[in-house]
Amino acid sequence: MVRLVLASPIAVATRGEREIEIEFEGTLRGLFDLVTNRYGKPFQQRIFEGDGALKRFVNVYVNGEDARYLRGLDTPIPRDATVDLLPAIAGG
Amino acid sequence: MGYVRGLRCRACGAEFPAVQLAVCESCFGPLEVTYELSAVRDSFRRADLAERPRDLWRYRELLPVLDESARVDLAVGCTPLRRAADLGEALDVREIWVKDDTVNPTYSFKDRPVAVAVAKAREWDLPAIGCASTGNLAAATAAAAAKAHLPCYVFAPASLEPAKLLVPRIFGATVVPIEGTYDDANRIALLTADRRGWGFVNINLRPYYAEGSKTLLFETWEQLGFELPDVIVVPLGSGLLLTSLEKGFRELRELGEVADPPRLVGTQAAGCAPIVQGFESPDGRPKPVRRPETVAESLAIGDPGSGFEAIQAMRATRGFADAPNDPDILDGVRLLARAEGVFTEPAGGTTVATLRRAREDGRIDRDERVVLLITGSGLKTPAVWRDAFQPLAPVPPNSAAVDAYLGGLHHG
Repeated sequence: MVRLVLASPIAVATRGEREIEIEFEGTLRGLFDLVTNRYGKPFQQRIFEGDGALKRFVNVYVNGEDARYLRGLDTPIPRDATVDLLPAIAGG
Repeated sequence: MGYVRGLRCRACGAEFPAVQLAVCESCFGPLEVTYELSAVRDSFRRADLAERPRDLWRYRELLPVLDESARVDLAVGCTPLRRAADLGEALDVREIWVKDDTVNPTYSFKDRPVAVAVAKAREWDLPAIGCASTGNLAAATAAAAAKAHLPCYVFAPASLEPAKLLVPRIFGATVVPIEGTYDDANRIALLTADRRGWGFVNINLRPYYAEGSKTLLFETWEQLGFELPDVIVVPLGSGLLLTSLEKGFRELRELGEVADPPRLVGTQAAGCAPIVQGFESPDGRPKPVRRPETVAESLAIGDPGSGFEAIQAMRATRGFADAPNDPDILDGVRLLARAEGVFTEPAGGTTVATLRRAREDGRIDRDERVVLLITGSGLKTPAVWRDAFQPLAPVPPNSAAVDAYLGGLHHG
């Protein structure tokens, strides 16, 4: 099972659900398509820009690695991966 | 009491009440505190400021703490603004001032934002506080937590200098040494704060935390006789210090106290310069650095949370961004110590190095009045000097041995 973890501010996109388990294997883009099917347009609108890119203030981590340092939305997601969606706040 | 109006998103402008909110609920952008400035104007008077306590609460109308009893009194702020004439001569600048935050209670400027964040945590009765830190914030948060009798959890890279991991433990904090970079520590701290309902000062208390840092600008303004300098050189980690200064300027302007902004000049180490690279790129977006490599570890944040806003602020104030290398940074530390008797950590050497470089290529003019923010003490980072000085061999306690040791050099 892929475990999707959303920080509480981001969980408005999933009707407040902060941990979601999904039977999935594929790419990050495919995972988000599946989540969009489940939670509808609000998820897509809150996480993505109109051009399909991730919003500037949303960081995605696959097994702890920032997806920007992997292959972005083409990053492979193994069936036991943990994917974190966190607001982009780092440092003080 | 209090003059807080609410929170506003810096990105999309959405407004919210002043509650515990980490980011904008609409676009997840950064939030800033807004005030009823017309009401502030009536009580924030220059003549009255002189009579107030010598700590950061002297600017209380522009700080978002409503309950005075929630404050933790560690006498933060009101640090010296030193006229640095010898440094000015060395760098060919007519007027340099050093804002010396090495003398705060835990030896860095981080005591300022923490003072505000911990007061909010107490107002909201949070069960514990914490932070993700490159070192200075850890000490500041742990000290304030000790005084507030709150449990404290510090997430930091395990590879930090030993002193920076030791100090928070002396204050009674629990240090969680994360295998990885600062950004790894920040990510896991964010998840932990969320799961456990703790208040992490630079994460879910961030909009309030940021307010403390702008007192550096207010103090500089007051200490220069209610004038702002032409240029402020600011070290950049996340970029939040620079954006806080810019916010402080906007508030003073709206109060009718000042007209033109100082040029805000940001500086990072070449080995971790995501904001500088973003400043230089057409899109103005920070360029994240996966593996920072620099002696200025307090600035080693690869994915700076306030980088975009810092770039906008530098551009809007006709400032610039610069990234000296490690040898230049250490030369800057040495120059400041030897010219002015102030021992800074490498972050402060970064500001000195940038001023030197900017004089060489003319980005800063000789006649501009420059303030350098020296944000942390060098005593926390002795390890960076390991290779710079020969080990000392003991000298027998007699005059001949001392003469031999001094080798005929003329001293004094």
